[in-house]
Amino acid sequence: MTAPEFPARACSDCGEPYGHEPSVCRECGGESFETDPIPGSARLYASTTIRVPGSDHRGEEPFVVGLVDVDDAARVTARIEGLDEGARPEPGAPLEYVERRDGTFYFRPA
Amino acid sequence: MRDVSIVGTGTTEFGVLEGGVKDLGSRAVARALRDAGVERSDVGALYVGNFVAGILEGQGAVGPMIADEVGLSGVPAMTTEGACASSGIALRQAQRAVASGEYDVVVAAGVESMTDAGTPEFTRALGSAADRLTEGVTGLTFPGFYGIYLDRYTHEYGATREEVAAVSVKNRANGAKNPRARFREPVTVEEVVESRLVADPLRLYDCCPAADGGAAVVLAASDVAGEFTDEPVEVLGTGHATGHNAAYRYEDLTTLDATVTAAERAYAEAGIGPADLDVVELHDCFTPAEIGDSEDLGLFEKGEGARAVADGRTEVGGEIPINPSGGLLSKGHPVGATGIGQVYEVCRQLRADHENQVEDAGVGLAHNLGGSGAVCTVTVLGRGDRR
Repeated sequence: MTAPEFPARACSDCGEPYGHEPSVCRECGGESFETDPIPGSARLYASTTIRVPGSDHRGEEPFVVGLVDVDDAARVTARIEGLDEGARPEPGAPLEYVERRDGTFYFRPA
Repeated sequence: MRDVSIVGTGTTEFGVLEGGVKDLGSRAVARALRDAGVERSDVGALYVGNFVAGILEGQGAVGPMIADEVGLSGVPAMTTEGACASSGIALRQAQRAVASGEYDVVVAAGVESMTDAGTPEFTRALGSAADRLTEGVTGLTFPGFYGIYLDRYTHEYGATREEVAAVSVKNRANGAKNPRARFREPVTVEEVVESRLVADPLRLYDCCPAADGGAAVVLAASDVAGEFTDEPVEVLGTGHATGHNAAYRYEDLTTLDATVTAAERAYAEAGIGPADLDVVELHDCFTPAEIGDSEDLGLFEKGEGARAVADGRTEVGGEIPINPSGGLLSKGHPVGATGIGQVYEVCRQLRADHENQVEDAGVGLAHNLGGSGAVCTVTVLGRGDRR
């Protein structure tokens, strides 16, 4: 089974790729973006386990947030799920895209 | 551009204090005015750094409110906001306002009141410094940013957990001598590495405490500074730069570009380099922040900051004392007040009047960082005889 494709965004004017869609294209100032899917295979840059969350995320702890390089093309801040309790992958660990829920990207160990 | 000097300083203690931003900010400003011997009618403008009063206290217009509260009604006053660098920005704007020739005397202050709110509430408020729509939604907190930072730093440079903990041990030992600090008990390496996890690999004693507090300085054109004090502290150079508003925006998270750029600008304006510094107060909101900051400010090569602390090179009496005040880790971090709180500590050092004095301190630096390295100010200060 292959991971779902990651829904990267690209500037409609100049094609600049983005993981998180910016307000305007940082290269050309364009204001419209379109989905340009890339493979959902990814690598962890670094991560943390949040044990003391803000009031918006109370009750979800502990949870792992990481910086994830998707297909060597886009870095995103995302939740990492599918881990054993207390476990946190090492920088460089292979991950795969799961889905986007409530505005947050989710990845799991590949 | 005219030369600018600090001619008066005032601060509250940092800790769990009665009163909100109105009381704490007003007291700090009043103390600075009294220290300078400045008449209220001499003051041309007021800049007040504040970050979370709107969120936690429901209080806006902090700068104008404090102007009226201290008897400065009529002066142009404003609040500067750049997360935890809010009052570093206030100081720099005040310096520019005097340097430009528009005013001879300006007050810069910072204030925050946090401890009435619970940890989840102020954690949420501080988290608002990061881009809410892309990164805030993941639940990443302010300690979490530095948890990720330390995870990557250790991966890149191989710093040991004990070396990182040495930052907290040093700063808590320094803070034990500072009556303005919230935490005045030393900690050991063992206590740091065995304290409870907050944002792995960060533990509780890797984190600065929240605090309430206010701090203020009076700035004057250097050619009139002698009317107010025999011991002016000259503002030799300042730098203000922006970086990135979220962790994913960094290609190399272990270098915060805003610090590098702000430092370059401040050193250039002062006509000095990092080797000329005698004392540094830098933004140690978390232990890995002090390590990275010391490298980004040019005090150590990248990757050497952790070892430098563990080897004692940044203690008082070491080659470059860092955070002799105890830093944010001991004083606490009343976010909007921290930047001018650092400047207050450096001024005491340069006037040879600090409880944890660095011998013959002539040139000092204060480094104030906001959010995920989104914004930074660096201020280089000199004893009157050092220009």
